Amino acid sequence: MLAPSQLVFHILAALISLVSLCVVVSRHPVKSAIFLVVDLFLLAAVYATMEAHFVAAIQVLVYAGAIVVLFLFVIMLLNLQADALAGFRVSVFEGVTLLASIIGMLIMAFFTLTGGSSGLGTGTWTVDAINAAGGNTMAVAVTLLQQYIWPFELASILILLAIVACIVIAKKDKPSVANPSSTLAAK
Amino acid sequence: MVSIEYYILLALVMFFLGLFGALFRRNLIMVMMSIELMLNAVNLVFIAASRSLGQLDGEIMVLFVITVAACEAAIGLAMVIALFRRSGTVHTDFLRLLRG
Repeated sequence: MLAPSQLVFHILAALISLVSLCVVVSRHPVKSAIFLVVDLFLLAAVYATMEAHFVAAIQVLVYAGAIVVLFLFVIMLLNLQADALAGFRVSVFEGVTLLASIIGMLIMAFFTLTGGSSGLGTGTWTVDAINAAGGNTMAVAVTLLQQYIWPFELASILILLAIVACIVIAKKDKPSVANPSSTLAAK
Repeated sequence: MVSIEYYILLALVMFFLGLFGALFRRNLIMVMMSIELMLNAVNLVFIAASRSLGQLDGEIMVLFVITVAACEAAIGLAMVIALFRRSGTVHTDFLRLLRG
């Protein structure tokens, strides 16, 4: 008999696998993006069951709320049509890569299942220590703002760079360069 | 409590579905969404390991991965827009300028 937490995990895992498959095989990009939102919400639920509350909140806010919405904006901006899955070709390189990946996955799954269970380690942030520190969010904040303060600050510089890069890359070319009826159009 | 092996197996399934999408879809935006799926699989392993080992470093790392993924998505989509404006397509079979 499964414990309730295990039952919840198995349901969530089955849903995540199914929705991930839908993300990959949906013909229309908008449907894929919607499935991706569902997938990220389900993952946030898994994080919440693992008592990683702060990461679960950030997952919903940043991933489902910002990144996928960005994808949706771009899909609608470009007015993409559903592409045909039926006529897709597979090159030798891709086939070999996928085959090697599947073999690697099976080997990894084998060692994961047959290896001895590690169980709880002896780190400093055990469940009791996290509760004593005032919950998961407090513990993450203490670690992030003390031990990882420099990577945290560098992340802000990275975001600034990304903003500038996006503006530079996506802005329109100068009128003399821009040519709507470009011969490069390969329709 | 669910043991870490189940989380790793779920992450494996997600990662290889994402790899399948990144390899076999022909739409650049679909490729990027598949990459997001793979990044999420890695995040799941980070958090499972963090919980199993009794350390918070994995959760911190996930926060940084999310930051970098946001930057990557923004810049990648900007490049897709620039590419679409220039060549009129985001279909990877038509984008073979570097292949000669």
